Amino acid sequence: MEYILHIVIMLNIYILLVLSANLPVGLANLLSICQAAFYGIGAYFSAYFLMRFQLPFIAVALIVMTLTGLCSLVVSFAPVKLKGDYFVLATLAFQMIVFTVLYNWTDVTRGPYGIPGIPSVKLFGIMSISGIYGYFILTAVLSGSVILLFRKLKFSPYGRVLTAIRSDELSVSALGRNPVHFKTWAFFISAGFSGLAGLIYASYISYIDPTSFTLDESIFILTALFIGGIGNVKGPVLGALFVVVTPEILRFVGLPDAVAANLRQIIYGLTLVLIMYLRPQGLWGKITLK
Amino acid sequence: MILELQNITLNFSGSKDSFRILDGLNFSVEKGRITALIGGNGSGKTTLFNIISGFQEGFTGNILFNGKPLHALSPAKIAQRGIGRLFQGKPLFQDLNLLDNMKLASGDSSGESPFSYLINRKKIDAGEQEKERQAIDILNSLFGADNKYTKMLHNMGSEFSYGEQRLISLARLFMGNYSLLLLDEPTAGVNPVYINTIRQIILRMIADGKTTVLLIEHNMPFVRDIADRCAYLADGRIQHQGTPCEVLDNREVKNSYLGIL
Ligand SMILES: Nc1ncnc2c1ncn2[C@@H]1O[C@H](COP(=O)(O)OP(=O)(O)O)[C@@H](O)[C@H]1O
Ligand SMILES: [Mg+2]
Repeated sequence: MEYILHIVIMLNIYILLVLSANLPVGLANLLSICQAAFYGIGAYFSAYFLMRFQLPFIAVALIVMTLTGLCSLVVSFAPVKLKGDYFVLATLAFQMIVFTVLYNWTDVTRGPYGIPGIPSVKLFGIMSISGIYGYFILTAVLSGSVILLFRKLKFSPYGRVLTAIRSDELSVSALGRNPVHFKTWAFFISAGFSGLAGLIYASYISYIDPTSFTLDESIFILTALFIGGIGNVKGPVLGALFVVVTPEILRFVGLPDAVAANLRQIIYGLTLVLIMYLRPQGLWGKITLK
Repeated sequence: MILELQNITLNFSGSKDSFRILDGLNFSVEKGRITALIGGNGSGKTTLFNIISGFQEGFTGNILFNGKPLHALSPAKIAQRGIGRLFQGKPLFQDLNLLDNMKLASGDSSGESPFSYLINRKKIDAGEQEKERQAIDILNSLFGADNKYTKMLHNMGSEFSYGEQRLISLARLFMGNYSLLLLDEPTAGVNPVYINTIRQIILRMIADGKTTVLLIEHNMPFVRDIADRCAYLADGRIQHQGTPCEVLDNREVKNSYLGIL
């Protein structure tokens, strides 16, 4: 039972991550490959605030999301104006820099040793959420709310502008909307919610180290997104389900870990290739890749 | 004069050498009229539109809109100042339905920030309904009370034929508060049955007496029919201007552009 709950908790965390990635990548045409950097920034900020202060969960969450969101401005305000290949390179650079800082700034992050003993979150400042059941309920409520929130956003006037930006940015600006403004917010919100995923992860596992927030992890998040499908809310959720459950099935089948790890990569790779040929909109997505 | 272009010069740098596409161009557009801009392929007509609407950097010269300089404003800001544009050959937003295509052109963009919707839902819903009403009014008044588009508000942009998408792209310009509309080849590639409708729409654009239309066209009968003024662009400058008849019947224009000797 606990094993299943653990998988569901990880699934909920990945739902946050993949849905967050969908906002820039699926809607605003910004291929971000630094989503794991935001996840990591959120986790490390959370470790700091949880270990130093006795704050209620909501307060920590708001602080961490805002700080992580602000970090996204480093990329948004780089002189590349959130465009095309330059943006991809800027996010790649950001991902590498964040990892390097987490890994080497040992005075603050303890580098490769990681940070152990991160306390659980406290719901109202007193009631400590602990144990697997507590986190199961917390993450289920959170991912449920975030799914609803992103659905709302997608069908809001803001979502309408993002969808338009994806197909024709020039026309959006000729109609009096500045695409950079909308993209900056999309990236900010995406970073914020990835930071929230970092908070949940750090306090649930109670130990973090830089290897959870690598370029590989960013690509993993994008893999889930492209398998599930971009543009809508169902695609990212089911994409997260696919990448979290597939390895468990392989383990269940009884393959040795070393084989399973390789097989998993092959399955993801093959799925992506098949998707390009058979379903360019992803398994459950709405928008066709170009 | 609603628009004055003074001494506009622009060089494009090609792979080997740079070439001068606009060379000290001067041009004034009369308020409340339809002016046609004609010229050969590649003569720089679209480039001139790009300069006016803020998409082209690196030119020299001045642009005055209602007597005020437009210098260094972003395309979005220029649109907000009242210059609307129909791009050459562009369809509707494919992933948005007809109604959203119209709403996105509204002059009122409040409510499009990500947080306003979550904080002030009621007000925004009211604004959205107002935009829907406006869109339906426009469609009804342009295409008749029983038109097909009002019944297809929720069809995606991609579900309309190219000609229909161009009609709707023109119609959505009525959603904004524009005083100058730049229309880049509105009839090109459109089924001839729609051309009369396009003519009606453009005439409606200036019907309020305040809006000005600047039109790029290759369809000469259309230009003679609809335009009040005509300007011929060649070699980086306006070479001739006047009434459509004066310009189109000019010997030099006939020779170099229309290919009639
Ligand atoms: N960004 C650019 N860089 C270099 N050359 C360009 C650029 N944009 C347009 N041109 C060239 O400038 C010329 C004028 O283009 P355009 O203004 O589109 O002509 P048209 O009068 O047919 O609308 C064309 O030869 C085109 O290839
Ligand atoms: Mg052109």
